[in-house]
Amino acid sequence: MPKRTFKIFRFNPETDSKPSYKTYDVECEGWWTVLDALNEIKWFVDGTVTYRRSCRHGICGSCAMMINGKNDLACELQIKTLKGTITVDPLPGFEIYRDLAVNMDPFYAALKRVKPWLINNDPYPSKERIQSPEEFKLMGDSIACILCAACTSSCPSFWSDEQYLGPAALLKAYRYTFDTRDKGLGDRIDALDNKHGLWRCHKITNCYHACPKHLNPTEQISKLQRRIIEEKM
Amino acid sequence: MLKMLARTGTGSGGSNAWVLQRISGLLLVVALFLHYLFLHFLNGGDVTWNEVTTRLASPLFKTIDLIFLVSVLFHAGQGLVINIHDYIHRPAPRVILVSLAWLLMIVLLITGTVTIVTLEPGFLQEMQMGQAAGVIDAIQSQGVAL
Ligand code: FES
Repeated sequence: MPKRTFKIFRFNPETDSKPSYKTYDVECEGWWTVLDALNEIKWFVDGTVTYRRSCRHGICGSCAMMINGKNDLACELQIKTLKGTITVDPLPGFEIYRDLAVNMDPFYAALKRVKPWLINNDPYPSKERIQSPEEFKLMGDSIACILCAACTSSCPSFWSDEQYLGPAALLKAYRYTFDTRDKGLGDRIDALDNKHGLWRCHKITNCYHACPKHLNPTEQISKLQRRIIEEKM
Repeated sequence: MLKMLARTGTGSGGSNAWVLQRISGLLLVVALFLHYLFLHFLNGGDVTWNEVTTRLASPLFKTIDLIFLVSVLFHAGQGLVINIHDYIHRPAPRVILVSLAWLLMIVLLITGTVTIVTLEPGFLQEMQMGQAAGVIDAIQSQGVAL
């Protein structure tokens, strides 16, 4: 089993005056992901290392962190694809609770502002609300977002404005705006056409590069911008 | 008043500013293309003061230049304001900087408009010649033979 070195960001705001890195050498199986190594460290070497994880197969979005300078899911990123020392940092742009666990409140608050649920006050149809495959395609791959915050945390517009909706929330807004069953644009437009909303996106495309699910929030944000302009005209 | 200023640019809403920024950007691309076309390809030779001022003094070019001026200043001002909104978060400095940015654009708009509207063909040359004549007169009046 090859030995790999992990340089892990450590910070406990209650006891530490400033953050530091701690290095751990771990014998890793060839098939391990970064999360496997973190588990190995926490379970057998240093129980104080703090991070979030849950599903360990890339669907819950808990384990997003910055690995070698790029936001990714620890449970999806294979160690063998990384060279040299592996540096693990918390998601940038958020307050640090401890080590790799950050305060995600601004992220969820932004999500809530775009009302990420189906809005349709028409009387209930007798059966389900049907969507054709073409209509379904309008939503694109936005439905595959797992809300890990890798995109929002990589966005300089979000770093400079904590109230900015951010790519994840805007992608959600896109998902419902382009859902033919949804009629809620009127309810969402104030949050979108807002100084902390759509127009803060400067097409930096960090979100596109950060997304572990290979979605393209930048492109969807552009489509949403056009849609809002059409709506206002 | 302060509140209103703080909300200019990408302040409240922001869709109008966004659209106008794109329209002015497009106008700039067209204007730049026309500039190259006329200055470097259609003038049939040297770029001389007389030729350029004669062309720029025509009403058509004055109109084009005014549109160009307005779009470039709007685009630049809006760009500055977007940057200020991105980096300055406290209301007071934000209002001051945004006001300064627009003030600068207004001053440039006035000077630019005056320049364009009052432009006459070859006027600088006349002015230079006039000055030169004045200098020659002055020297001669000192009794120096030229
Ligand atoms: S642990 Fe669920 S996405 Fe990584």
